[in-house]
Amino acid sequence: MAIDTGLLTNILFYVSISIIFAILALGFNIQWGYTGLFNAGIAGFFLIGAYVAAIAITQPAPPIVIAGFPVYPGHLGGYQLPFVGGVLLAMVAAGAVAALLALPMLRLRADYLAIGTIAFAEILRVFAINLETLTGGTIGIILIPRPIEFEPPDPFLNAMTIVGIGGTILLALLLVLQFIGESPWGRVLRATREDEEATMALGKNTFRYKLQAFALGGAIMGLAGALFAVTLGYVEPSISFAPAVTFSVWVMVIVGGAGNNRGAIFGAFLIYGMEWGSVQLKDFAPEALKDSIFYIRLIIVGVLLILLVLFRPEGVFREKKRVLR
Amino acid sequence: MCAIFLAFVGALALAFGISILQYTLAGFVVGTIVMVAAIGLTLIYGIRGFANFAYGDLMTLGAYVAVVVNLFGGLALFWGTFVAFGVLALVGILLEVVIFSRLEGRGPVAPIVASVGVGLIIQNGLRAVAGTQQWNYAVTAIQDIPIVPGLGIHPVRGIATLVVGLSFVLSTHVLLKYTNLGKAMRATADNLELAKATGIDTKRVTYAAWAFSCSFASTAGVLLGLAAFIEPAMGFKVLLLLFAAVIVGGIGSPYGAMLGALVVGLSQEMSIPLLIWLGRPDVLGLEHATAYKVAIPFIIMIGVLLLRPWGIAGRQPAFAPRAFTLERLFRVLAREPTLADKVEGDRPGE
Repeated sequence: MAIDTGLLTNILFYVSISIIFAILALGFNIQWGYTGLFNAGIAGFFLIGAYVAAIAITQPAPPIVIAGFPVYPGHLGGYQLPFVGGVLLAMVAAGAVAALLALPMLRLRADYLAIGTIAFAEILRVFAINLETLTGGTIGIILIPRPIEFEPPDPFLNAMTIVGIGGTILLALLLVLQFIGESPWGRVLRATREDEEATMALGKNTFRYKLQAFALGGAIMGLAGALFAVTLGYVEPSISFAPAVTFSVWVMVIVGGAGNNRGAIFGAFLIYGMEWGSVQLKDFAPEALKDSIFYIRLIIVGVLLILLVLFRPEGVFREKKRVLR
Repeated sequence: MCAIFLAFVGALALAFGISILQYTLAGFVVGTIVMVAAIGLTLIYGIRGFANFAYGDLMTLGAYVAVVVNLFGGLALFWGTFVAFGVLALVGILLEVVIFSRLEGRGPVAPIVASVGVGLIIQNGLRAVAGTQQWNYAVTAIQDIPIVPGLGIHPVRGIATLVVGLSFVLSTHVLLKYTNLGKAMRATADNLELAKATGIDTKRVTYAAWAFSCSFASTAGVLLGLAAFIEPAMGFKVLLLLFAAVIVGGIGSPYGAMLGALVVGLSQEMSIPLLIWLGRPDVLGLEHATAYKVAIPFIIMIGVLLLRPWGIAGRQPAFAPRAFTLERLFRVLAREPTLADKVEGDRPGE
């Protein structure tokens, strides 16, 4: 049987990364779409999840020195926990950091929150790059074990496993979030977004609800980070967790329609599809565009942000209209 | 205030040697660059009421315009700065007409998202057109001028930057205090509706604010390019530093931005010796300790947000809490907040 598994593996890779972005978008949707908390530090929680999971599940990695030159600084950990343990730890860590960050930040106006969270994410990246004995420095953490090892190694089966695990997690998450969104708790979140004073006047402690929503969103982003670590098999600090990741997730949620979970997932597959497509098209692009195709992609993200905000702020899928019964 | 600072620096120099003065000087140079940019950023923050996330990339754009004039046009950098000043003023007005005027009354998030889009377009447009390589302005005079042994200042990177910064501060002061346009700007920033009611053409004021804001960005970009080199991400890398300066000084207040910029610049550069000391193997053994200097301004920013959210130079709003202590934090967590808390907590920067 001569099926081209190379192309299939490539497509599966697109699906698995899209799933990760979809989970990030769901986390952001809880914070912004439901509660109106504009988080500009998505990449930071993503980073925490990825590094915590990587440290928890890898083998010990001592520093490597060849002929007196340090080649690899090593990293913390080597606890060799199972995959599930790494994911749970990542969620707990990212959620806890989100809650701690929320304590001072959530009392501030939306623009302060955006500035504070993006500053937090960037400082975290400075630490990830420079705290070498903890994070492996610019090289990052490598040789992250896959959830299931095949013998002999088979990239196609690996990709299938990752998509299976990611898809299951995404579906479960979607169900839970849909349920939460319709629950009394979700109603308070939306009420807080629409009119915080009125919600407070109804006797709801809106600060506590905002804190919970922010922490839940952070934990979901940590989950995405853990999945990202096992999907790639390594984590590195400079590109994967740059502010551009945060901006991409914004576009995904705004395209899909803030406050709409299915829209967020649609947006993730669409926008990451564009990114993946630009990589595939690179070989076919005219010579003059070859080097700049990645930048053109980011320009398109920028143009989309502006056009959507100007002309279709509610996105492709509107949030469901809720009428008094 | 000045005397206390001089005494402080003098004592540090006596205790740790002359090198601390070199760091102080570097802090003033960084602070000056941040100051020029922060004045522009806070102008538009005050009048349009949103955080312009494209500001760093507007600085980069200004620096590149000056590159074109300086390297390809073969003119002196002064003319490059001049042309960039004019071009960016037009860019600013264009941004207001095409994008931001349509987002009036849509809350703070919509313009933030749009400005991030503008920033992405500028930054990656420059990458696509000019490539990712680094550029340097063609300027002479490379040697530092020694002041005392162990302490020197670069004639262009040091003295010229300080002079340009000082002239911008003075002209901003004259503009805001003694011209009708400046007074109208302050009135509009203070209360848009009231300014309209008194017959101020707030649209014209807004255009003027955009023009000044973006042309200040261009000059700050040139100074930044002069201090190091010019590359597409240079402005975005200092954007958060600018926000720190603006918040520390109090949002919307140009005088606060000046003070905040000095605090940010000095704290970042003067923390280097402390970080080097922390990095020694017998103290903490932190690797790459000086890389953490960028975190220092944000620690100060978070402190200011907690204790004086209206900024060190800003006016305390009528409803603001006197201080945000830890005890208060726990109290708030432990009980249901009242409506008064909400009103207080909602307006930290006004």
